[in-house]
Amino acid sequence: MSNLGLSLAVLGAAFAALFAGIGSARGVGLVGEAAAGVVSVDPSKFSKVLILQLLPGTQGLYGLLTAILLLSRIGVIGSGAVDLTLNQGLMFFAASLPIAIVGLFSGIAQGRAAAAGVGIVAKKPDQSSKGVIMAAMVETYAILALLVSILLIYNINI
Amino acid sequence: MSNTTGYATAVAAVRALESSLLSKSDIDRLTAASKKSEIADILTGSGKYTLPDGESIGEFIDSELERVWNFISGYAPGDKALSILLYRNDFHNLKAALKALIMNSEPQRYFITPTNLDLGELCATVTARDFGSLPEYMSEAAEKTYGILTETLDGQLADACVDCAAMRAMQLSAEEAGSGFMKKYAALITVGSDIKTAYRCSRMNKSALFAESAICGSTELDKASLVNASLRGTESFLSWLSSTAYAEAAEKLSESTASFEKYCDDMIISLAEEAKLKAFGVEPLAAYFIAKETEIKNLRILVTCKEFGADNDIITERMRKLYV
Repeated sequence: MSNLGLSLAVLGAAFAALFAGIGSARGVGLVGEAAAGVVSVDPSKFSKVLILQLLPGTQGLYGLLTAILLLSRIGVIGSGAVDLTLNQGLMFFAASLPIAIVGLFSGIAQGRAAAAGVGIVAKKPDQSSKGVIMAAMVETYAILALLVSILLIYNINI
Repeated sequence: MSNTTGYATAVAAVRALESSLLSKSDIDRLTAASKKSEIADILTGSGKYTLPDGESIGEFIDSELERVWNFISGYAPGDKALSILLYRNDFHNLKAALKALIMNSEPQRYFITPTNLDLGELCATVTARDFGSLPEYMSEAAEKTYGILTETLDGQLADACVDCAAMRAMQLSAEEAGSGFMKKYAALITVGSDIKTAYRCSRMNKSALFAESAICGSTELDKASLVNASLRGTESFLSWLSSTAYAEAAEKLSESTASFEKYCDDMIISLAEEAKLKAFGVEPLAAYFIAKETEIKNLRILVTCKEFGADNDIITERMRKLYV
């Protein structure tokens, strides 16, 4: 049973990196498509659209951070894996879910908002900061999910 | 790619191009031009147009819309919803090819572009009377119109049938494409055309049979009401129209046909403006094409008016509503 607990915790780490990464990849890809459209017409706007394209990339980083922290907490990275009960394993798995799920959906949603912001850069470049702010608002929820995941990871007794 | 984020690249590119659409102040400057030759200088000076060497302003205007279409369709090749925008041109070209066949002449100079059709193929198909090989949305209309032209030689009825078939095809294709924007576009184009046809029928005392063949009907104004109203004389028709949602159309028709045509174009631009709120999808692409079509119409009016020395007030009165 102790192996199953550890497996669940590792699966949680994988989920955090995997789903948040998928969310970011989808979001960054979508903004990239929109950005390419603007740059094909006006290459001088490259730097402005690049900022927007970077925004949905953070969820992937949060997922990666969560995975590293979780793996380090259970000793998979570093001193050696600790024995975990099924209950503890489940708790680590649950701890990874906030950033995994919120990362997935917020990455996509932020990608949509940032791609729409690319339209602002295209049409009214002087207002582009507003596009960045609107897309950045989505980030709040990814940060909250990251906080919850980290708090959970560090407060599970092993 | 999910449908809700479709054409992200194309929409962004189009948004970038929208900043080079002519603004109200550009149109004012063009209207103030003293002669036709100044129009090209003002356009080039605005930085929004680059006239190719050796191309006159007239030639440039003629080919500009095709350039725009090639740009848009390059991002959305074969998009059924977008192709509806060219149906009127397609059916005009069909009409030209059929009439040329009957009159044994060359249709090329009557063709208009952009079009969904391969014009060489259209000529060959019509000449071979192989109407079944035409695109599905026009084959039946081609057969029917050819029958009218050969049996009755009634060019007016043939024109009316083709125009009506174009409207019907637009509505059907918009329905099939499932685009709310294109459905509304098709309905507005149809209602404008139907009102004009019904008005003409009422003025020329056309028969019920003619009105039935020429009026298409739409979700905006139904066919039966339009046909009935057109048979009761002009005054009665306008009074009926005033009692519908298109009371303003009746007012414009009472002023002049030019006012009514401007009203119809402005209605379409108002619809296109709704697409400004969309970040993805086919609507912004269609709206840009409509905006460019209107801009080119404005430039044509300007060039023609300047050529014939029309008053600036007349030009201003005829300028279509701008998208930007």
